[in-house]
Amino acid sequence: MIKLENVTKTYKRGGDDEVIALNDVTLEVAKGEFVFVVGPSGSGKSTFMRLLTREQVPDTGSIHVAGKDLTTLRSWKIPSLRREIGYVFQDFKLLPNKSVSENIAFALEVIGKNRREIQRRVPEVLELVGLEAKANALPHELSGGQQQRVSIARAFVNSPRILLCDEPTGNLDPSTSVGIMKLLDRINRTGATVVMATHDQHIVDSMRRRVIELENGFVVRDQSRGVYGYAG
Amino acid sequence: MSARWRYIIQESAKGLRRNPLMTIAVILSITVSLTLLGATLLLRDQIDLATDDWVDQVEVSIFLCDGQSCPEITEQQLDDLRSDLEAQPAVDEVHYESKEEAYERFQELFRDQENLLDIVEPDILPASFRVSLHNPDEFLIINEQFEEYPGVEDIVDQREILTQFLNFTRVVRNGAFAVAVIQLAAAALLIGNTILMSAFARREQTAIMRLVGASNWYIRLPFLMEAVITGIVGALVSWGLLYGVVPRVTDGLSREVLLMPFIGEAHVIAAGPPLLLAGFGIAAGSSIVALWFFKDS
Repeated sequence: MIKLENVTKTYKRGGDDEVIALNDVTLEVAKGEFVFVVGPSGSGKSTFMRLLTREQVPDTGSIHVAGKDLTTLRSWKIPSLRREIGYVFQDFKLLPNKSVSENIAFALEVIGKNRREIQRRVPEVLELVGLEAKANALPHELSGGQQQRVSIARAFVNSPRILLCDEPTGNLDPSTSVGIMKLLDRINRTGATVVMATHDQHIVDSMRRRVIELENGFVVRDQSRGVYGYAG
Repeated sequence: MSARWRYIIQESAKGLRRNPLMTIAVILSITVSLTLLGATLLLRDQIDLATDDWVDQVEVSIFLCDGQSCPEITEQQLDDLRSDLEAQPAVDEVHYESKEEAYERFQELFRDQENLLDIVEPDILPASFRVSLHNPDEFLIINEQFEEYPGVEDIVDQREILTQFLNFTRVVRNGAFAVAVIQLAAAALLIGNTILMSAFARREQTAIMRLVGASNWYIRLPFLMEAVITGIVGALVSWGLLYGVVPRVTDGLSREVLLMPFIGEAHVIAAGPPLLLAGFGIAAGSSIVALWFFKDS
């Protein structure tokens, strides 16, 4: 589903000063996997996520996502790539003047889905995230955990094959985070591949899923059923 | 209407209402530049009309007495005058125009100005010799030689007057065009800036649209539409201004200057489509360029 081969990405920082965000990274994520990407700030997690959505292109190496070769993908085909990917942000990024169901419907409207499909899909996904009762609430009337559920509903409403979550529990307290993880787990069980960048040691340790650890742009660990740091 | 188009129209209306003063400023700036552009087009029409219908035919007119202010020219005097004109080496061609022909030509020239046609009786216009010269500068020779001929009422170098008028008109047209171009450039920059501000104000929304896979044209069309609406409104206002002002001015001029025909309402109406096209083009072009920058930000 996701395949990186010898991917290197550097950023120019004025003059000849270069920052290496990813250094010769090769890895593969199979369909239906649940993967944590861990590592300190600046280790390359964000760059990794941005490469998958083709917000950025690598300097060298090749990337395949959902059957598409991103290094040769024409820019007018980027939207069709992104329709295969749901994206969940740390800060939710809900539109403040739209209700919960409007926020979710928006993701379908702007890719040209017809009204009948929107009216069918939005209640379904609201039920999945457990917010049927809040359909007409505005984002500021919700708790952080509820807002993140809406954000996940929006990311998943188009039934993407891949869900990318960038620190989804970063703004939430631990008990709320557990609920969010249960939701992501449920989505993963429907067959979607989930990639989650996180700092949250407790969550990684309790889920016991594959862990990819980045440090200074290198993959320093890739372990199935792993924990946040080396045990012990 | 499909959900897509409803979304696009809603969003562009939102953009226009978000900053009404800015919207008015953009429309005014487009109006000013397109009014100048329209004036340029109409002055060109005026020059063409005067040149085609008039200047190429008119050289020197020798008006003949018809008994109203001097004794009517006799057959003998007419023949003498014609043969002397034809013998004069400076003269290229001589054409006699009877009173009836003069009236016919007058009607043809001023076909757009009915009130003028009403006040001119067929009898008022004198018969004339219309004389073309090898070199228009030799008018003085003709004037000196034939001024005192019996039966000649007046000799007029119409070309001289018209050439001066047309040169003046050309200078005005070129000036108006230059200012129109500068104004259009300013309007284009203003539109581009406004569209960028509008896009920036909604960057959260467009960022989400991008990540859920909305196509580029779907993201940008509302902004493009916003600009095109201001462009077309500006063009309509400038068209209306020209329609209200120009026919009055030319109507007034045509009462004062009987030498040549003037453009009328029909010309102003015909200038509309090019103005609308220019308004559309300048708005669409500048916002496409602006949004091209926005994509990379």
